[in-house]
Amino acid sequence: MRRIGVESVRHILAALSAAILAGPAFAAEPLDGAINMQPAATRIAERVHDFHNVLLVIITAITVLVAGLLAWIIIRYNKKANKVSRKFSHNTTIEVVWTVVPALILVGIAGLSFPNLYYQNVTPNLGQIVATSKQLLADGKSAEHQAFTKNYFPDAAEAGFVNVKIQGNQWNWTYTYADIVDESGLPVEFVSNGLHKGRASDPTDGLRLLSTDYPMVVPADRYIRFYTAAADVIHSWAVPAFSIKVDAIPGRLNEGWFLVKEPGVYYGQCSELCGVDHAYMPIEVRVVPQAQFDAWAELMKAGDFDAAAASVRQIASADAGAKFASN
Amino acid sequence: MAGDVKHDYHLVNPSPWPLLGSLAVTVLAIGSVTYMKGLFGLAEGTWWLMAIGFAMVLWVMFGWWATVIKEGRIGDHTPVVEIGLRYGMILFIASEVMFFVAWFWSFFEFSIFWDARVGHTWDSANALFADGLNRFAQWPPADVTTFDPFHLPLMNTLVLLLSGTTVTWAHHALAHGDMKSAKLGLILTILLGLGFTALQVLEYSHAGFSFDGTLYGSAFFMATGFHGAHVVIGTIFLIVCLIRMYAGNLTPQKHLGFEFAAWYWHFVDVVWLFLFAFVYVAPHLVHGGGH
Amino acid sequence: MPMDEVALDHGHDSHDHKPGFFARWFFSTNHKDIGTLYLIFSLIAGVVGYSLSGLIRWELAEPGIGPMLWIQTTFFGLDGDAAVTAAKHFYNVVITYHGLVMIFFMVMPALIGGFGNWFVPLMIGAPDMAFPRMNNISFWLTVAAFILAILSMTVPGGSAGNGFGGGWTLYPPLSGSTGHPGPSMDLLILSLHTAGIASILGAINFIVTILNMRAPGMTLHKMPLFAWGMLITAVLLLLALPVLAGALTMLLTDRNFGSQFFVPAGGGDPVMFQHLFWFFGHPEVYIMILPAFGIISHIVSTFSKKPIFGYLGMAYAMVSIGVIGFVVWAHHMYTVGMNVDLKAYFVAATMVIAVPTGIKIFSWIATMWGGSIDFKLPMLWAIGFIFLFTVGGVTGVVLANAGVDHALHDTYYVVAHFHYVLSLGAVFGLFAGWYYWFEKMFGIKYNSFLGGLHFWLMFIGSNVLFFPQHFLGLQGMPRRYIDYADGFSTWHYWSSIGYAITLAATLVFFISLAVAFIQRRKATESGNPWGEGATTLEWTLPSPPPFHQYNELPVVNTKGGH
Repeated sequence: MRRIGVESVRHILAALSAAILAGPAFAAEPLDGAINMQPAATRIAERVHDFHNVLLVIITAITVLVAGLLAWIIIRYNKKANKVSRKFSHNTTIEVVWTVVPALILVGIAGLSFPNLYYQNVTPNLGQIVATSKQLLADGKSAEHQAFTKNYFPDAAEAGFVNVKIQGNQWNWTYTYADIVDESGLPVEFVSNGLHKGRASDPTDGLRLLSTDYPMVVPADRYIRFYTAAADVIHSWAVPAFSIKVDAIPGRLNEGWFLVKEPGVYYGQCSELCGVDHAYMPIEVRVVPQAQFDAWAELMKAGDFDAAAASVRQIASADAGAKFASN
Repeated sequence: MAGDVKHDYHLVNPSPWPLLGSLAVTVLAIGSVTYMKGLFGLAEGTWWLMAIGFAMVLWVMFGWWATVIKEGRIGDHTPVVEIGLRYGMILFIASEVMFFVAWFWSFFEFSIFWDARVGHTWDSANALFADGLNRFAQWPPADVTTFDPFHLPLMNTLVLLLSGTTVTWAHHALAHGDMKSAKLGLILTILLGLGFTALQVLEYSHAGFSFDGTLYGSAFFMATGFHGAHVVIGTIFLIVCLIRMYAGNLTPQKHLGFEFAAWYWHFVDVVWLFLFAFVYVAPHLVHGGGH
Repeated sequence: MPMDEVALDHGHDSHDHKPGFFARWFFSTNHKDIGTLYLIFSLIAGVVGYSLSGLIRWELAEPGIGPMLWIQTTFFGLDGDAAVTAAKHFYNVVITYHGLVMIFFMVMPALIGGFGNWFVPLMIGAPDMAFPRMNNISFWLTVAAFILAILSMTVPGGSAGNGFGGGWTLYPPLSGSTGHPGPSMDLLILSLHTAGIASILGAINFIVTILNMRAPGMTLHKMPLFAWGMLITAVLLLLALPVLAGALTMLLTDRNFGSQFFVPAGGGDPVMFQHLFWFFGHPEVYIMILPAFGIISHIVSTFSKKPIFGYLGMAYAMVSIGVIGFVVWAHHMYTVGMNVDLKAYFVAATMVIAVPTGIKIFSWIATMWGGSIDFKLPMLWAIGFIFLFTVGGVTGVVLANAGVDHALHDTYYVVAHFHYVLSLGAVFGLFAGWYYWFEKMFGIKYNSFLGGLHFWLMFIGSNVLFFPQHFLGLQGMPRRYIDYADGFSTWHYWSSIGYAITLAATLVFFISLAVAFIQRRKATESGNPWGEGATTLEWTLPSPPPFHQYNELPVVNTKGGH
């Protein structure tokens, strides 16, 4: 690839900024008064939401059933309404029913649960995805191909993984892009600090407790494979909109993956108690179009972190606004 | 028992020992932390508070069990109470077994799943942990020379197994009123117990690894060390029984204390067999001798 | 030696001859007195734990660091960034000790030590516990453990201040030398060791009492369900606590003697601690709820004037909950990077527990069905328990699914879930038992109006407190945060309002207690205020029962006892 100078990147940025949407920034962040999950930004999250919605129906039905039975008992079997209590204490049929029916419901839940778990927990084999996709097309199974594409993104698979190592520290995150190396062969690596520390000196801009100085930046519509690690104590890297939470444990590397279709800003927070500033090491993921990502990477390689961060402050996108505009 | 009481259960009179025991444990705990970390202006390494606490614990144990023995002798331990005491001892040993489960669990985790931990999931790029990859990419770790199980450990196994038979001999002799053989069997058991401890000390002094600084050493010494501590406690238990035997305290009909000491001794024995099989022999067979 | 004289004085007490005040309450060997001591102790510890939760809700009522900072500047003379850091650490300390105090020094002493001691012997027709003196050291060791825990709050933890601020789960390396090098954590470890020894001795005592001292004719299958609950709880304690003791010992030697169990640089594994901890920790949650299950069964049966529906199913549901409780521990650890097949196993195993739990809920309902129900105060608490435990239970089914748990793990959804089963489950069971047996224990009647007020305030308050936390969790609010993004403000505010309502409930509770003891309205002459539905043996005794009951053992020949 042709080496691009910092100056030319600035030009590209200027061109890109022309394409940026006007209007409110789209972001996945906690919404005051909301009662459900943050909008899904990954297929993983979509599937979790679908599954959770089913669970929600089931558990609400069970709770309503119990509440209804209790209410009926209170009305019908209080001592005024029913002067003499009956004395039965067994009914084999009903006992079998309330053992077997819940068990069947649980089997049904498990049937939905396992595919969901394996989908998100097993990092996909990209080569196999590409091959399967081609095979389905070749066999003319377009319906299957469509379903397959929805879950496995063959186009993104062809582009391979973007690998990021995420290390939790007391109290910030270090992001290392193993595939993006500078001239001396060192990978792009930077520390991402929360802007706010609960102190009087905190800046007034940015989302309190969510915004960072140097966000994690990844390209949209690409497979991101990440490894979490930790330097001191256990941390946990979590982004609610992705339905992802992976502990960062000293000495270990934990693996995870995600793919975000829509460019945007997604916020998360450390999710394992890690000491004094546990609440002050947020996660900010800026998902940008590939071109903007490449430009950011060039700036990072050149060591100009501030310019790189500035380059993703506005996210270029053609069609991303609709989904998150409501935020 | 009291005139209108028509059952055989033992209603114990009020006793100061529990309160004193609790006080002793509090002093011991605070003393231990003072020794380890320094507390309330006392410097780290201050040992006297811990020593006082430990002495208090021993005092309470002595006083408490002396009371129990006296109660047993004046007839409070009716047959139904004896059954209860037996259940109690069995349950105590069950909880001890679960205590050892913790050591075995961690030893197995570290020895069997070492490759799961230091394989592709090992954070080798981090300077903090890079060294670990080289040291722990095998088990036992690279710088550890393990014991040959068929020298001292095998001898220790034989010593302990033999002591298991002598204590059973003593038990049978006691049950048949043959006090001479009972005493001999018990003395032999105690000597074998002391011999085991001595051999274990000897083995420890030749260890090619230490408790601090190496994972193998930590897991090895914790498991075998707690077993050793139990051997010492069991030996003391047997010595108490021997003293009571000479004092004419144990009879063919009533010798619960001896029975419990014997159970405890067998428990210690069985734990050792597991230690020998899984901490000494199995790794030796799987990984060969020391490196 | 005077002490031996006390201990060996076979003064042939007549059955109501009580020892002098000091010997009675400090050297006690009487299960009812020890039960009372446990109840007083857990009231005190409960006030401490509840005050700590008050600090939490006060802090979280609004975004930003408020009260914690005020405490640091006002009481500790700190200012600027130093005060902020101290406030953050203090908050972590508060949540840590809230959890530990509530679990080890409030719920367990009250349900097991208090009600267990009082009513297991009474219900099974035994004159006392099997080992009355050991019973007393269980109590005093619990006190010692509490003192050590409180002491550990006041000595240096880490660089940021006094006390251990790593959560009640004590995960290393935060609880190791890396995170909290000070003596606070060491004191806490020894405190939990002490509490553990106390509980193991107590467990042995309960098991032996139940196995060996049941009244003639009372087979295990005729034994009251509270005794069943206590038996299973005791078995869980006996088998789970030693494993925690092992884990804590390893942590202690890691911190002080250079062992490497949980030190990654030495090849150790912090996740190993989590396995050992939760192998204890999961049975622990059943330890806290099974005695409450038993209490609820008796109350439901008593006030419906009906025998318990499906008695054997109820008993064996608890047995299976206890057994399965030992093989599901890693569902607390779905995010640590476990093998996916292992996760799948824990998903399946965990969901199985919903079956016996469902059997219990439906059996309680069936017990009420066809009854002539008297909605006296204990029954209100019992019905509250059944409903709230159902809510807590079904969110448990959601969390059991590892796929969903990846989104909800360590969020307020989990906080809401376990407070519904513990704070609204175990604690409602506790209050149900408190009012059910109040008259039996103290020989006086409680004030019904104040008790009712206590119930309704508590029911409304705890729901307002904990229900919105589900929403927070779904939106992604992580646990153990002193401050939160502005998007979480509304529900946190409501949650704190809920706390204020429970605070009113708690005040009413203490007032009702004072009123009861001032009025001293005499207990029902027969010893049974509840009438025909109350069939267990304790109701055959006067209220309060004599110092030593059952000098002549009761004989059970009907299907009595449940």
